Order: sequence, then C-alpha cells, then structure tokens
Amino acid sequence: MQNKLPLYFVVSFVLLIVLAIVSLYMGVYEFNSSFSEIISSFFVENSAVSQTDQYVFLNIRFSRIIMAILIGSALAVSGTCLQGMFKNPLATPDLIGITAGASLFAAVAIVLGVYIKPYIPEAMHFSFLSIAAFIGSFITMSLVYKISTSNGKTNVIMMLLSGVAITALGFAVMGLLIYISKEEQLRDLTFWNLGSLGGASWTKNGILLLVILIAYYFLIGKGKTLNAMMLGERDAMHLGIPVEKTKKQIVLFTALLVGTSVAFSGTIGFVGLIIPYILRLIFKSNYYIILPLSAVLGSILLLGADTISRTIVAPSEIPIGILTAFMGAPIFIAILLKQKKSL
Amino acid sequence: MLKGQNISYTHKDFKILSEIDFSAQNGKMITIVGPNGAGKSTLLSVLSNEFEKFNTILFKEKTFKEWHTGELSLHKAKFSQQYNSDIPLLVGDVTLMGRYPYFENNPTEEDLKAVENAMKQTDVFHLKDRDYNTLSGGEKQRVHLARVLAQLDNEIQNKLIFLDEPLNNLDIYHQYKILENIKKFTQKGNTAILVLHDLNLTARFSDEVFLMKGGRVVANDVPLNIFTKEIITDVYNFPCTIFENPVDKKPMIFFGT
Repeated sequence: MQNKLPLYFVVSFVLLIVLAIVSLYMGVYEFNSSFSEIISSFFVENSAVSQTDQYVFLNIRFSRIIMAILIGSALAVSGTCLQGMFKNPLATPDLIGITAGASLFAAVAIVLGVYIKPYIPEAMHFSFLSIAAFIGSFITMSLVYKISTSNGKTNVIMMLLSGVAITALGFAVMGLLIYISKEEQLRDLTFWNLGSLGGASWTKNGILLLVILIAYYFLIGKGKTLNAMMLGERDAMHLGIPVEKTKKQIVLFTALLVGTSVAFSGTIGFVGLIIPYILRLIFKSNYYIILPLSAVLGSILLLGADTISRTIVAPSEIPIGILTAFMGAPIFIAILLKQKKSL
Repeated sequence: MLKGQNISYTHKDFKILSEIDFSAQNGKMITIVGPNGAGKSTLLSVLSNEFEKFNTILFKEKTFKEWHTGELSLHKAKFSQQYNSDIPLLVGDVTLMGRYPYFENNPTEEDLKAVENAMKQTDVFHLKDRDYNTLSGGEKQRVHLARVLAQLDNEIQNKLIFLDEPLNNLDIYHQYKILENIKKFTQKGNTAILVLHDLNLTARFSDEVFLMKGGRVVANDVPLNIFTKEIITDVYNFPCTIFENPVDKKPMIFFGT
C-alpha cells in the first residue's frame, strides 16, 4: 500500500482541479461573457469583457475558491496531525478547543483593532489579526496538551473536557464582546461563530499560502513518525524517532495553520474530524498515507461545501460552518459508538 | 559493552534505585530478577536510555548523548510492556515499524525479509494480515517481540537488546521458543538484558543474574551462585528449596514448604 501513495495523490488532485473548475461556473452572479473570454481578457488589452465581469471572476469567485482549497487543506492536515499526536480520532482543533481559543483572540483583536488600526499600515491589518489568532491557538494547544497528557499518555476525557472548558470561555468572552460592540463589529463577530469564506481576498490567500508552505514543510512528511508514535512515545524513541521535537513541531505548526484559518474565515468546524475518519475507513490508521491525502481531500471537502453553501439558497448563503457541522456531527457520533469500550 | 556506575534514581521523594553499578559484556544473556518494586524495570529503563538525565551510562565506550539517534537504533532495541495500546493497523504494519530506522519512505526487500523472519521466529507470521486489535494478549506480545527482533536484524556486531518481561501472557511453548531465540542471538556475540519473574527459566538460560531488592543490587553472579537457599529465601521472603535440574544440572528453585 505504501507504494500506491503517488497514485492516490494524483487521482485526488485531479478530482480537486475538476471540482474547482465546476465551482468557478456556479454562483449567483451572471457573467456577461463566457469564461474563456474572461480569462483571455486578462492577457489581452481592450477586450470586450466588462470590468465587473473581470472583477467578480478574479477577486470574488476565483479567490474564494482558492481560499476554500487552502483552508480546507490546512484544517484537514491539522486534524490528522493532532490525532496522531494525541493518538485519538477525536483530537481535532475544534473539539479540543483550539479553534475557540483562536477565534477568541481574533475577536479581541477585531474589537481592539478599532483603536490600534489608525496606527498600523493597511497591509499589517490582516497580519495583526492572524498573529492574534495564532497566539490564541498556540496558548490553547499548549494548555490542552499540558492538562491532558502525562508520561506520554493522553487522557482522552481530560483532552475533550479542556476543549469544552476553553470553548465555554471563548463563548463567554465572545458574548461580552458582542454585547459591548458597535454595529460593524457586531457583524464581524457573529460571523466568527459560523464561519464564512465570503471575505476572501488575494492578500489573505497569500498569507495562507505562505503559512501552509512553511507548516507543510515540517508536517507533511511526518506520516512514518506518527505511525511510530502509535506504539507509545517510549517505543517510538527506541526506533530513533525524535519524539519531543516532533511534538513541539506539531503543536507549533498546527497552531499556525488553525490560527490563520480561523482569522480569515471564522470558526469552520469538523473538517479535521471528517477527513481523517473517511481516510481511515479506507487505509486504516496508516499516517504515511492519510496525512498527505488529507491535504487534498480537505480542500475537496471545503470547496464542495462552500459551493453548496453559496448556491443552494441563492442569492443568500448558508454559513459554511453549518454545512460542515451537518456532515461532521454524525461522524462524531459514529466514532463515539465505535470507541464505546475504550473510552 | 554497557557500563553504568553509581546509578541512583529518585521519583517524588521515593528512592527507586540506589547506587547501582552495572556492566555487561558481549555475548552474554543477563537477567535481572527480584521481587515486585525492586526497581528492575526502572533499571532497565535507565540502562536503555529512556531517561535523559543519565549521561554517565557508556554504551560501546560512548555516552548515549554522543551517539547519533538513528545509528543508535541499529545497535540497540528494547521490548517493553504494551499496556492496552489500541493500534488500528494490520499486524504486518506493526511489525514493519521495527524497520523504520532503515528506510525513509518505502521498505526494501531486505526490510520485508527481516520482518518475515522475525514474525516466523515468534510465530505470528500467519497473523500478518489480521487487525492488530483483534489479537489476544499473548499474540500482541509476540507481534511486538517480532518488531524488536526485526529492528536488530542487520550485519552490525555486538548489538544490545533489552527485554522487559517478554514472557508475560505467553504459553509454555512460546516462552521457551523466545528464550531460545534470545540465547541464539547472544551466541552470535550480541548481548541481551532481560527482566524476568520466572526464576527457573532464568536459571536455565542466563549467563549472569542481577538480583535486586529495594532499589539495590543484592547479588550479581552466575546462576549457580545466585540461586542458593539462603539468598533466595531472604530476598523473596518466602521459603524455598534448591535442587539440581535433572535435565541440564542447572539450579531448580522450588518454593513453599
């Protein structure tokens, strides 16, 4: 099975491209020209394509699709890595409170941002937001890990309960901020809880891409390491696996991935739960295969969900977090039923 | 080939090991025995580099810190008790992990051969396509033994294997089989350090015995000199009689009055 990985990867990637092209065509806005005309209009001067068409195609639709691909991938990979580290299929950024921690800090950054924004250059605004979210997810991740792990063994109950605790705290602070905030901030804040890719822009995509490239450089090759860690940290160490270094890297880079994703799209849950679960049904818990594949399948999932979210009740949108929750909750229940004996 | 001096280990105000001197030569099968709580597993952990603070242990004349981690796992391996680990993989995949120090992405023919040999040695080859989680305790134990044996299947001389209670959950046939395999391993110039509970098996197979009690090494000698009525009755706090084993003339310990 390990030899077939490139094949699976290529097949999934092709699927993603096909889905992306299909999604380009779907949506509320009616284009006046055909797509080939619009695309060529970027390279040719004085074409007949309207500026509105160009704008919508590039800055709204195409950038949104790219964002869905990037964030879907980031969330799926984060979920898979966390599950490897905690050795449990329920360890996902949202269930253990990391998403809540990130959105908490991001919300605070938004409210505080009003006072600080005049002093910071425009380009830094988004960075400020994603840095705040990253700090939030990093602190939360370290906290959850410290509470729930001792001697290399994860107490799953503690892990999930610390997630509950942190999510509750986030909810409380969020409620307070909503209460004291002004109109514009209110709109921003409520979108955090449900998630939306509507705010996609090329600046955000650029930051996301950078973060993903850095994080994946360290994380994507960790399949074999995560497999070995299933034997327990001690035995993994005897196999020559650098366990402590690996854990630090997973904590740092998943916090980075989740933080940045939450900063730009709010709370989109369950992606990190659904994708590894589906992959495990096919490949068992072989991280060598499911880790790289989750990067592509996450994109497919989120892109598909986003396309549905903006077309099913056109012209309005169902917040994407609702769709992923509908998909994820049954899977959560399925995992619980399977784990009944060991939990 | 392995040397440690004045090893002491305290955990939360409790002295688990006190001033232990340990040394092992090539080609020897050494067993650590003693009553519960004597510190046997802890000593094995210290000697196998599971605690980072001990940089006074010398393995092949180098401290563990001086060893390169990847290189080290080709020279030494440890079998530990797997307490209820759920591993959602096939048996073959679990055993293959023993060869992780040898390949980056894909196992070679050599790796697959090593895994096959190890699985045949511990009699789990016929289980290789089964789900690991569906195995019995003894079968899982043998899978991990195979993994550890596969890890040390190479041309390096004078390797070191640690085994912490490898016979738990095993039936008589497999207990003897694994001890015979370890004996053959040491006869090629390698060293094995085991923790066992069964004193008779220890007497039959070991070249050297370390008898521990209360965190100290009470005696360290060949089995014939360790397994005497006075020493064993005192350490285990239970009456015993020593006979001569009719099969190979080694000491045979009979407990009770």
